Amino acid sequence: MEKLYLGIDVGSVSTNVVIIDGNNNIIDKLYIRTMGNPINALKEGLKHAKVKMSELGSDFMISGVGTTGSGRQLAGFMVGADVIKNEITAHAIAASTFIPNVNTILEIGGQDSKIIILKNNVISDFAMNTVCAAGTGSFLDRQAARLGIPIEEFGAHALNSTTDVRIAGRCAVFAESDMIHKQQLGYSKEDIINGLCEALVRNYLNNLAKGKDIKGPIVFQGGVAANIGIKKAFEKALGLEIYVPTHYDVMGAIGSALLAKQEVIQKQKTKFLGLEMADVDFKVKGFECSHCPNVCEVIGIYKDENLSARWGDKCGRWTNINIPSPTV
Amino acid sequence: MKIGIPRALLFYEYSPLWIAFFSNLGAEVVLSEQTNKRVLHQGTQTTVDDACIPVKLYHGHVLNLKDKVDYIFVPRIMGVSKGDFICPKFCGIPEMIKNSLTDIPKMINTTIDFTKTDKHFNDTIIEIGKYITKDENKILSSYDSALSEFNLYKDKLKQGQLPTDTNNINIFESNNRKIMLMGHPYNIYDNFINMNVIKKLRDDQYDVITPEMIDDNITSEYALQYDGKIFWNFARKLIGSCLYEVEKKQIDGMIYICSFGCGIDSIVSEIVERRIRKANIPFMLITIDEHSGEAGFNTRLEAFTDMIKWRHNLENNLSTHG
Repeated sequence: MEKLYLGIDVGSVSTNVVIIDGNNNIIDKLYIRTMGNPINALKEGLKHAKVKMSELGSDFMISGVGTTGSGRQLAGFMVGADVIKNEITAHAIAASTFIPNVNTILEIGGQDSKIIILKNNVISDFAMNTVCAAGTGSFLDRQAARLGIPIEEFGAHALNSTTDVRIAGRCAVFAESDMIHKQQLGYSKEDIINGLCEALVRNYLNNLAKGKDIKGPIVFQGGVAANIGIKKAFEKALGLEIYVPTHYDVMGAIGSALLAKQEVIQKQKTKFLGLEMADVDFKVKGFECSHCPNVCEVIGIYKDENLSARWGDKCGRWTNINIPSPTV
Repeated sequence: MKIGIPRALLFYEYSPLWIAFFSNLGAEVVLSEQTNKRVLHQGTQTTVDDACIPVKLYHGHVLNLKDKVDYIFVPRIMGVSKGDFICPKFCGIPEMIKNSLTDIPKMINTTIDFTKTDKHFNDTIIEIGKYITKDENKILSSYDSALSEFNLYKDKLKQGQLPTDTNNINIFESNNRKIMLMGHPYNIYDNFINMNVIKKLRDDQYDVITPEMIDDNITSEYALQYDGKIFWNFARKLIGSCLYEVEKKQIDGMIYICSFGCGIDSIVSEIVERRIRKANIPFMLITIDEHSGEAGFNTRLEAFTDMIKWRHNLENNLSTHG
């Protein structure tokens, strides 16, 4: 019986599921758009994993599961996670496992961007974007749609640029109006896309990476690492080679699978509820608690119509699921 | 007579003094509720848009006292220590309240300048006390005993008790790892707006150290080591605390909580960050505003405490993925 481990990353834009084996080989990976519905995205991911497991046959079994991403609590509850970890730790574990001696991780996802600095394979510093989402995947998605270019081809267009066009990168709203103004002057799409890639990188380096000790080897991961234009712009700005790992788009999920593996080996047992969770009906029903002026938005998770978890209350009064939710 | 004190801004620093003073005079002191969603909502709804979140919360707390008291204590704070300045919002808060809020109880907005000579300062105390009694001797003796109570309270802070703690604790006797929480008292002690950071850190087995635990004389002395001119009072407190901790090496990490748009923090956080990093102490800046979703905050906090644990494990040559 070979033991496999499941890693799940429920992010703002994508939900990723990976299966790794005991030697950290990637057996399967899946990248699905969350589309504002993490429960459905995760169930789809689990269904896919189920198909894969039946293909592999009965010699294989999933012995542990880890979740990460902004939806990690919800996902962790649904599958019975052994480890529920933040995405910074998960990304760092994955990168340092596959790229020995990595010093800098640039990670740009759907709604967050991060920089992680490692020393001796341990995080020594990190930063995440603060108040602004400029320079994340969602912004690129939107601009690609506006220009009528599929996001997959967006970066490649930048490589055909012949003239430098400067786009304001500090704010997504400023960037968009600057792009439109440059486009109205007659600059080509390629030049504008290249200008946008450079603006995004400039914003990232001035904002997130400010004062950080960026040294090679540098790894670029997250969904935006698919964008060759951004990679080139990073290389140009830093004067260093940027390495995009094979599984750049699911590194968070890989990290949580690695963490799960470690946890299960240590504890010698798993809390995993099984891939059948893909067929369980999960529903979310919320209510506003009127007990105090905080008016907490309490969320109840119903598994096959039975209330099985509740969170969102500051004081914890609804954590006990034996107390019935107020009827609205 | 009922005197209301808004639980915001300098409340977290000076409330024991004023609560004792008004009580000694025979007034009933009513505090606004702990910051909650309604306070936040009413504050952001009524305050000028550009103000920082602590000022908006102050408005919310004033409204929270509406119809509950005879007077609301909204002093105009002009100075707290000689040679440096306080953020102008403290000098202008009575005007902001008067112009933004209607139908609120009468205000006590005496100008308070702690840097004045004793004679002048006595006049200030008498002016405040006269709202309650005409007996000047009673006013001054009430203040004197309130001040000694306040000094006892400050001694407790130096033993590791936080202004928000109700029971006695002494963290300097514990072996837990220590994280210093930096920032203005109204950010680090308002558990609603800082997403309960103190409880989260303590639940994760960290002891929390704050600048208020360090004696003012010590912070002022250490602040002298800084080579630039320190303009703001808060800056002196925070930079002094930072340089003290860099020398004492008794903290395992520092989290600086600043409110979005704060001019003083924008400079002080940068100075503090450079000094702390030079000393190889993990540092993280968290900007807060009116957010109520905690996922982003928790992710950063968790990653930060993970980082500290890993570093320690590495130093002790244990597993690196602790």
